Amino acid sequence: MSMAQVCCDSAVAATAAPVVGAEAEARARARAERRSRAGESGAWKHAVAAGTADATRKRSLGAGELLVARKHGAASVAGRRREMEDAVSVRDAFCAEGTADGGRRDFYGVFDGHGCSHVAEACRDRMHELVAEELAATAADSSVSAAAAWTVAMERSFARMDAEVTSAGGRAAAARSSTCRCDAHRCDHVGSTAVVAVVEEHSVIVANCGDSRAVLCRGDGAPPLPLSSDHKPDRPDELERIESAGGRVIFWEGARVLGVLAMSRAVGDGYLKPYVSSVPEVTVTDRSDGDECLILGSDGLWDVVSNEAACEVARACLRRGRAKWCAEAAALLTKLALARRSSDNVSVVVIDLRRRNH
Amino acid sequence: MPCLQASSPGSMPYQHHGRGVGCAAEAGAAVGASAGTGTRCGAHDGEVPAEAARHHEHAAPGPGRCCSAVVQRVAAPAEAVWSVVRRFDQPQAYKRFVRSCALLAGDGGVGTLREVRVVSGLPAASSRERLEVLDDESHVLSFRVVGGEHRLQNYLSVTTVHPSPAAPDAATVVVESYVVDVPPGNTPEDTRVFVDTIVKCNLQSLATTAEKLALAAV
Repeated sequence: MSMAQVCCDSAVAATAAPVVGAEAEARARARAERRSRAGESGAWKHAVAAGTADATRKRSLGAGELLVARKHGAASVAGRRREMEDAVSVRDAFCAEGTADGGRRDFYGVFDGHGCSHVAEACRDRMHELVAEELAATAADSSVSAAAAWTVAMERSFARMDAEVTSAGGRAAAARSSTCRCDAHRCDHVGSTAVVAVVEEHSVIVANCGDSRAVLCRGDGAPPLPLSSDHKPDRPDELERIESAGGRVIFWEGARVLGVLAMSRAVGDGYLKPYVSSVPEVTVTDRSDGDECLILGSDGLWDVVSNEAACEVARACLRRGRAKWCAEAAALLTKLALARRSSDNVSVVVIDLRRRNH
Repeated sequence: MPCLQASSPGSMPYQHHGRGVGCAAEAGAAVGASAGTGTRCGAHDGEVPAEAARHHEHAAPGPGRCCSAVVQRVAAPAEAVWSVVRRFDQPQAYKRFVRSCALLAGDGGVGTLREVRVVSGLPAASSRERLEVLDDESHVLSFRVVGGEHRLQNYLSVTTVHPSPAAPDAATVVVESYVVDVPPGNTPEDTRVFVDTIVKCNLQSLATTAEKLALAAV
């Protein structure tokens, strides 16, 4: 597989065009080559090679586009569904303040929308900003443990994100997308999953809401470690929470909240509150020297590719020894999902966690 | 699927006006079995406003069928509400979950056949629906689902719009009732929870849309 090394820096990537398979990939490569020739990615590579990075550099991934760097790669395709409602966010050094030891924090997110694309797009555009703000606010309070501080910051960020997409103010993001068909005040049937990861020098923090997923590939043949747990309505504790709130889970082409929605937590979906909650589950995991990579993906990937298979694909790309192995792994995983007849949009981010890469 | 109608358990906190009342499966089955299909269904008595009740009468659903009615109060005049409800060719004007609507036959009058494509995330892809009744005098609209990719077979819906007795010039009562087959593997209660959820969501959206329309007209 030949993959151009690219940097996509558009502030708001278009997701209007449906993207399917080889044609999309060819177009993505052509775009990548044009950008590379223009020197944009060269300059960016130089910055990374020099050990510096633009603290506010932002990348958002458009449908079919490949984003690669030494540190991470991402790929996203519409697949067999005509609309692209997934969004991916990669924000290097997204916090003005790093960790206590001066290390950097990088933000990664996968958002799988339903009903329309604008909630996922709003998450892509705003979630990292909200997390940065809440981290700054939480840092001022030194009375809580690191893990508790992360939980507070993430829960507040998700609550604010949910409030933004359900209020009139949240319309700003939707206005930017030509694919959004919703009329103002009539969008409470739209929502999105959100699986968010913050990578620090010594820890990986994951906050998840919905049925996208984060998986850590540890080295030495160790089994993959899930850093999130899918919020399906028939997960026993979710079922209990929903029923305690007066809701019901009905098996209607799978377990669904009120027979309608196939996930028990999401950002948005106001009409299903409080049964469909936007409270994330947060994990804080220490990094090990042997860790290979972190994989974030939407259920379009995980419904047809097991954690083990995904890690094997990533490991195989790693062993080839190429600098852009993360992008190759991300692209290969999306292709694998499509080959296995995933019926959904597929979005994947692969993040290199090897120590020597820092 | 009738633009994905669904039913709701108990009371939803975000809901201030709408409520649904279902037919007890046992009672429906018993009545149907003992008295035949000609018996009138009494499941909605006491819930559907008297002035609308006659439009929502139907035979008691027999085994394998269920019914429900959802009532929504709207703070807008009946004419404003009806002007939105009656557009069978434009369900997206007030219904949620509609990605697109194409007319396959007719131009909005009785006999019009529409194909509604549904947004993602729901257990349906499309619904093909025929307009059975469009009564501009009585403000009654009825449609039948005749096809599509969904699990709701033999769905027949009736929607009525009436001035509210308490404030006839400023408020309206909308009732949507339906009868539908219970899909294999589900119970009548499951079916009502699902359909009432969708119907309630649509009627709340109708209230918002009509209220904005009435405000704009002032």
